[in-house]
Amino acid sequence: MEYDLTFFTEMLGRTLALWWVLIPSIFLGLIVGAIPGFSAANTIIILLPLTLALEPEIGLTFMVGLYASSRMGAGIPAILVNIPGTAGAAATPLDGYPMTKQGRGQQALSMSFVASIAGGLFTTIIALITLPWLSQVAFYLHSVEMIVIMFFGISLIATIAARDTLKGLIAGFFGLMIGFIGTDVVYETPRGTFGFLELYDKVPLIPALVGLFAISEAFAVIEKQSIVTERGKAAMQEPGWAQTFEGVRIAVSKWWHIIWNSLIGLVIGVVPGAGAAIASFVAYQQSKTYSKTPELYGTGHVEGLIAPESANNGVTSGTLVPLLVIGIPGGATAAIMLVVLQFHGVTVGPDLFITSPELAFGPFTAMAVTYALMILTVLPLARYMSHITVVSTVYMAPIIISFTLVGSFVPRAYLFDMNLALVFGVIGYVARKTGYHVAAILIGVILGPLMETFFLRAMKMSQGDIMVLFSSSIGNTLWVFLVISLALPYVMNLRGGKREKAAAHDPYG
Amino acid sequence: MADDAEAQEKKRVSIGSELIIPVAALAFTVYYFYTIWDAPWTAQVAAFIVGSVLILLVVLILIKSFRQLSRGDGEINFDNLIEPRSYIPKRLTLLGLTIAYIFVVPWMGFTITTFLFLSLAMLVLSDFTKKRLILSLSATLSLGGYLLFIVAFKTRFPAGPFENLMNGLF
Amino acid sequence: MKDFDNNLDRRTVLKGGAALAGAAAASSLPFGSAFAAGYPDRNIKVYVPTREGGGADRLLRSVTGVWKNHIGTNFEPSFFPGAAGRVGYEKYMGLAKDDMYEFLFGNMGPEVLNWVVKKPTFDLNDFQYFAQVDSDPGILFVSRRSKFKTVDDIIAEGKKRTLNVGVSRLAHPATLGALALAKHSGAKFNPIPLSGGKNTRAGVATGEMDLGALPSGGIVNRAKTFKVVLMFSHTNPLPGRSDNAPTMNAHFGTNMPSLIAGSRAFGIKKSAIAKHPDRFAKVEETLKKVFADPAFKEAYAKTKSPWEYVGLRNAAQAKEYADNIAKIGAEFKDLLAGKQT
Repeated sequence: MEYDLTFFTEMLGRTLALWWVLIPSIFLGLIVGAIPGFSAANTIIILLPLTLALEPEIGLTFMVGLYASSRMGAGIPAILVNIPGTAGAAATPLDGYPMTKQGRGQQALSMSFVASIAGGLFTTIIALITLPWLSQVAFYLHSVEMIVIMFFGISLIATIAARDTLKGLIAGFFGLMIGFIGTDVVYETPRGTFGFLELYDKVPLIPALVGLFAISEAFAVIEKQSIVTERGKAAMQEPGWAQTFEGVRIAVSKWWHIIWNSLIGLVIGVVPGAGAAIASFVAYQQSKTYSKTPELYGTGHVEGLIAPESANNGVTSGTLVPLLVIGIPGGATAAIMLVVLQFHGVTVGPDLFITSPELAFGPFTAMAVTYALMILTVLPLARYMSHITVVSTVYMAPIIISFTLVGSFVPRAYLFDMNLALVFGVIGYVARKTGYHVAAILIGVILGPLMETFFLRAMKMSQGDIMVLFSSSIGNTLWVFLVISLALPYVMNLRGGKREKAAAHDPYG
Repeated sequence: MADDAEAQEKKRVSIGSELIIPVAALAFTVYYFYTIWDAPWTAQVAAFIVGSVLILLVVLILIKSFRQLSRGDGEINFDNLIEPRSYIPKRLTLLGLTIAYIFVVPWMGFTITTFLFLSLAMLVLSDFTKKRLILSLSATLSLGGYLLFIVAFKTRFPAGPFENLMNGLF
Repeated sequence: MKDFDNNLDRRTVLKGGAALAGAAAASSLPFGSAFAAGYPDRNIKVYVPTREGGGADRLLRSVTGVWKNHIGTNFEPSFFPGAAGRVGYEKYMGLAKDDMYEFLFGNMGPEVLNWVVKKPTFDLNDFQYFAQVDSDPGILFVSRRSKFKTVDDIIAEGKKRTLNVGVSRLAHPATLGALALAKHSGAKFNPIPLSGGKNTRAGVATGEMDLGALPSGGIVNRAKTFKVVLMFSHTNPLPGRSDNAPTMNAHFGTNMPSLIAGSRAFGIKKSAIAKHPDRFAKVEETLKKVFADPAFKEAYAKTKSPWEYVGLRNAAQAKEYADNIAKIGAEFKDLLAGKQT
């Protein structure tokens, strides 16, 4: 695969010429990303007649633009109203929403935009340069290695639990048990389903997400005037663009953080079947572990927002790698892109880079251009969108409830899922009011079943030999890193035990 | 620890509500174990490990609460769940309306149900002020939702009189 | 849930009325036979136990898109994905009326095997398939990067060590094929369920699995990544696109029934046929016309599946297939249900 600079400049020019496709796809992506239950994947399915009618290159550019921008769109409601639209945005409200409450919504949005755009742009370029090597990652990260990576994410439960260990752990383990609802992946034995066939395929994620975060919050928030605290409102009086620029400035000053976390996203994205949820939790955990101020996470800390947002956008470029190089889609959206390519008679795989390089490299340049265009189109929005948070809860609470119920219905079209969202809403409300961390429950629900899947797969492959967990050198290296990252906070505490007192308010509340 | 933390500790902990999650978790775990008792090992192994830890944690918090009770540091009530009490009626109404939404939507369809839910919930929360604003806001949102979800995105949301009328017209 | 479906029925009636009015106005209905007078006078609802936009959906659309012209009414699919098809079947048997206006469109092989592993809540004798639409054989395949080039390489290695075989689910006809081969040849296969064809292909392509067993459809159109090494059907319908892979019976001299892994079929409540034999005759007759209609071949081409898979099989043939699958399934039942590993 020898391609010179001229080739890439030409490719870039070709993509830029398609700006008229990218701009609408960016806005559409932002909208569907922001509505819970919708996603780039099901929007592309809806628009399939259109996409199939377009030239493959234009269709692909359209889909890539939609995909990248929807990932960023999902962060907007996560930050402003505590509704992560997809599992990939589930770690975003941990610090994004507290910032909103403090009246820093505009700042948080612009910060997350910069983190997303920079992370996405950077990883796209890295992916483009390192494609031949990166495509090999999937050949080395198998079930065993994925188990260890999952542990990084799940260990967040322990870190979140730091303030009230017992309650935090109960919340996390309760979440894990809820995540185990459904048939086991090997023999399909139904477990803990209360007799509902609708739960055989595990707890559907969107109802759990919107229930735990948004519906519970809507019930809790009605005792306040608006989502933003009184002090926050005062802070928001300062008109104009200042907050946007401040957000940009802060995000840019954390450039190293963005690079590091988006790379985590890229590598995890390359593994088929992993995805944005794992990446953003792992990034958050890593960011907190190596932070100088871990106690500030969960209180509206800048790095706690930048880490997951740059990671989940890193995933976006990562999922394209296995799709184009070995013809195996890394996620749902990539799978649909594959359908479209096949419709046009394009066979993906190593040959694609020789037979039609414009299609093989096109998605990456399209993604790069999408991210670049988003700087111009999205950043100005931060100022206006953040005003939604001062709308009275009299209007916000009912709107949040009705539209999240709709969102939980959409993916499967089962009324059952609306009931489920309400049940999770009640669980979330009780947890919130009595000091159990909703985020800990959610991590369990999202990562528990994934973890079990990889674990059972490894165990079935080794025919029940537990030592398989330590059978690969990459896996063992990851284990060592895991132990280090778990032990580090304690070591740091012992050494510098005085830093404790900084945070007065309860994180993740 | 800071002063306000000490003050907090002196305030008696409301134990009843803090035990809802652990008790629910315990009940669910026991039920879950019951469903996998005769299952193959693949169905059991992860749940037994996690569930056992969970049961242990719940036992620990029960012991802790019991000791708080016997020391007189805590009392059994559900205060922090329902405070501030002045909002109990509104909160229960909102819950009732949400349940009603889910049960009515199959009959009335998305648009009408959403309109009714939004306007009733907003009216209750605002103590029946600003009626005109609320009604027009609800109408706009439910119609907008209809156009976005059903017309544009073709969501298979239950159809009611309104959707059927629209279908008939266009 | 029940309310929701009642509502759908109302909608069906309303739409059906409109359709009929339109049809009458056009007065160009292609049927005028004396039997089943007045049938159908409204839309026919089809329960699909898989996701909208999936393979079954695409195939169903290509069939009903042509069928509606022959039978004279529209078809309305409704999707009940979940629990490997169980949700759809339970909903159909629980909700559908036996008036010949409600069908099910499923994938026989895996769904019949569901019942072998765990019985449904309804009586299986109340249900039957009446028309099988396509037949996609189960196959054994490897990655092009694999050191295995032929099925004999695999068997030889399988006698030395246990090979991990990626499969979509344990209760799947392609898995049965792999298990039957292992039993016959003495090679050791360890089937690893990877929840769906997409994951299975990923598992084989990335080298985590030694080989895979799936329906051929998703493999033959990725010929650059995968190589087909064995077919579990009686003939190889696509010799040119599958490296001329041998069939199991031809290569090993076995006498296995044809293990078709993807076999989409229409099903119905038996009571509907008993009540309305005239209507059923009309359904069968018009469906036959679909398969003779060139418009169908054109519509099918859009699904991107090989035309060679298509072929209408009647109720008796569908039953024979389902019985065969159930029989082999019963043979490996303990293994499928985890009673033995």
